[in-house]
Amino acid sequence: MARMKREEWYNIARDVDWTRSYVDEEAVFPEWMSGSGKVPHEAWKSWDEPYKCAYTDYVATQREKEGSVYAVKSALQRSNVFESLDEGWKSTAKAHFGAISLIEYLAVLAEQRMARFGLSPAWRNMAVFGTLDEIRHTQMDLYLAHEFIGRDPQFDWALKAYHTNEWGIIAARALFDGMMLGPDAVDIAIQLPFTLETGFTNLQFVALAANALDSGDISFANMISSTQTDEARHAQQGGPTLEILMQHDPKRAQWTIDKMFWLSARLFSILTGPGMDYYTPLEHRKQSYKEFMEEWIVAEFLRLIEDYGLKKPWYWDEFIAGLDTWHHSLHLGVWFWRPTVWWKPQAGVSKAERAWLQEKYPHWEEQWGPIWDTLIENVNAGNMQGTLPETLPWLCNLCHLPIGTAASPNNPKHPVRSYPLTHNGYTYHFCSKPCRQIWWEDKDTMHQKTVIERLLTGEIQPPDVGGILAWMGLTPEVMGDDAYNYKWAEEYRKPAAAAGS
Amino acid sequence: MPDPQPVPINAKFGDDFVTQLVVVLDTDTMREVAAKVAHHVVGKRLPARDADMVVRYQGHDLSPDVTVAEAGIVPLQNVYVDWVEKGVTP
Repeated sequence: MARMKREEWYNIARDVDWTRSYVDEEAVFPEWMSGSGKVPHEAWKSWDEPYKCAYTDYVATQREKEGSVYAVKSALQRSNVFESLDEGWKSTAKAHFGAISLIEYLAVLAEQRMARFGLSPAWRNMAVFGTLDEIRHTQMDLYLAHEFIGRDPQFDWALKAYHTNEWGIIAARALFDGMMLGPDAVDIAIQLPFTLETGFTNLQFVALAANALDSGDISFANMISSTQTDEARHAQQGGPTLEILMQHDPKRAQWTIDKMFWLSARLFSILTGPGMDYYTPLEHRKQSYKEFMEEWIVAEFLRLIEDYGLKKPWYWDEFIAGLDTWHHSLHLGVWFWRPTVWWKPQAGVSKAERAWLQEKYPHWEEQWGPIWDTLIENVNAGNMQGTLPETLPWLCNLCHLPIGTAASPNNPKHPVRSYPLTHNGYTYHFCSKPCRQIWWEDKDTMHQKTVIERLLTGEIQPPDVGGILAWMGLTPEVMGDDAYNYKWAEEYRKPAAAAGS
Repeated sequence: MPDPQPVPINAKFGDDFVTQLVVVLDTDTMREVAAKVAHHVVGKRLPARDADMVVRYQGHDLSPDVTVAEAGIVPLQNVYVDWVEKGVTP
């Protein structure tokens, strides 16, 4: 029997819906799950995905992709590639596995919410593919990381990280719960496929794939490239949803994107920024984090939102200024508080690396040089205690990143300071005005206690660094230390000291 | 006389890059507060200087002898500590 061409049946098949007679619309698509808001239900009938995909096509393509990823992994498993990888690059991979693996699983739940409560059958159909994609991503991440556990226990955090209270994970959990778990289907489509997957996963998957290849980690590069091809498809649930929302409630669309873009930018500046500008070996760096952000996020995303009739977010100038500072500050913080992370931060401040940083960021030496110089002096004097923390940085009540990391020292326009807000007699602290404003508007859905608040309310015992590390789940064999055992600092030894050493 | 009470503050020192949790006592003088905040920064992330320190709270420089309680510093508030040249009275 001759088969019909896909274009002859696709539009009917993916639009199958029916008029309910036993229950009303609200019972099937409750507002708190679907989130139609001001958009009349009829309007969702025009939802149209730009990328058409039938289940048979989907399965065939995915099978091929899976085969490719696992074939490469299988071939490399028998080689000694792992041993030859740079320690800095391994740290990028560990940070990725811990912060992303189970977020892929969280995205399964978000896709399922759209697959069930999305307001058009075509949308629900796309979300089923999205669900299957995210299951695949979770499995790939966990499977690839698992191979290395025997050689390096920090890879165990691919699975473990989100089951702990590690501070970076609390920051990521706060963002992703607010993006994927709490919201209704409409807000999920705007926040996850449109804002995160159209904008920021490019950063994590495209940029990292290039750096992974250059660093010799072919298996990792292959895995995240494979992931990105899925993201590019299911991210397209965002556009049609946004188009309809813009016709009926543009204010909600603008706010939802503005909010999630800011928070994603804050988190990715710690997740991706240090990997690109500090951990990747100098000879393998193609672009700086700022250059990549300008090309892939600033230009692309701005063009995209303006095409939909949206305005630049109100904080745009502050975000652009932050491309010069946020990730440097966060990198310094991660290195100083290195026992609190599950990877080995590569300081990335040898003389050659500092020259590169200064070239890419003309204020780098002025803003960060004096602090690194003091740390280097301590390292070379053998005063390691002087390079380690005895307290915690105060954390932002919205993004959960240290206060000061949305700014930089010697920066009059964006100085290191807190933006406090007293509400119901309690003082909350924020890293920036946008975090404070977003929290104020959406505190009912976005608020989670910071590590500082948990410490002050007695949740962490004993309330010292040892107690904090234990509470975060960091055991001695896993807690971070300098990737190169401080060897990079030797070139800074003063000649007399070097001669005597 | 009641026992000294801990007062957790959100403190920043000089040109440091973050604000930090520092627990002071309500009986501490500003000289002691400055030393407690500086302990986490000076010699670690910023070099020591031959200079005095001043505590700034709600936009005002506080006298070195005033206590936390007298200055009205309460838990969770921002406190800024900075260098001041020797002999300069805040």
